[in-house]
Amino acid sequence: MKFNQIGMGQFFRASSVLIILGLLVEIVSLLWFHPLSFVLFAFLGAILIGLGMVVYLASLVFAAIPISGNRE
Amino acid sequence: MTGILVALIVLTIVLVAAFLVRPTITARIEGKILAFAALCVLPALCIAMGMSFHMQRSEQTKFCISCHSMEAYGKSLYIDDAKHIPAQHFQNHRVPPDTACYSCHTDYTIFGPFKDKLAGVKRIYLQYVSTPPNPITIPGGFKNAQCLHCHLGARAFQENPVHASIMDTLTSNQMSCLTSGCHDTAHDVTNISHEKVWKPGT
Repeated sequence: MKFNQIGMGQFFRASSVLIILGLLVEIVSLLWFHPLSFVLFAFLGAILIGLGMVVYLASLVFAAIPISGNRE
Repeated sequence: MTGILVALIVLTIVLVAAFLVRPTITARIEGKILAFAALCVLPALCIAMGMSFHMQRSEQTKFCISCHSMEAYGKSLYIDDAKHIPAQHFQNHRVPPDTACYSCHTDYTIFGPFKDKLAGVKRIYLQYVSTPPNPITIPGGFKNAQCLHCHLGARAFQENPVHASIMDTLTSNQMSCLTSGCHDTAHDVTNISHEKVWKPGT
């Protein structure tokens, strides 16, 4: 499957899953009072959230637009 | 601040979950705007606020001494002897006790806290992956600028004849404030078990 044949819905799902996982990791890092909590936040949580944002932004550029899409 | 941040994160999770369950929401223009907010703006805000939270938390004394290798340094703040410079500053609130470590060890520059955080991450790496140094040392040594940030310009410091006679060598960092015979007792962790300890409220 080519990159520009992936539908918007699949991009959104991937993006949403990554962001939700990242945010859950961030909550754990906020509530865990330990020197490793920052490492957890910066090297796992923020990267997952950032990846999710990148996937969403990529969807705006590369996602295949369905024929029945909202075109006026 | 933790409560607000957690509330923001939960709100973001709820919004993002809506797009996970029903991506067709974005068919309409309102849905597209909401998607941009939920999948781009709010997560970016969560990262920025989370980073700020972690930076502020790492300024706390209790955070510094939560690291096992720093426990003895935390105890040294309670030594009941005025010759011990960190203890004297901590116990007499010459530095804010809640941020005592940060007050004396941060680099007072625009990226100082960020550089401190990076140094902290390096120490975590040494602790968990490599071998931590023993004894713990400050790269480049303790700089006078960290003392002079508060003391320079203070009357008692400026009018002290010893300080006045060597002021240039102190400000240029040619002679350390911790030089033997001056303020040379700082975090004497090797002898901490023999020291009398101050208990707050007694």
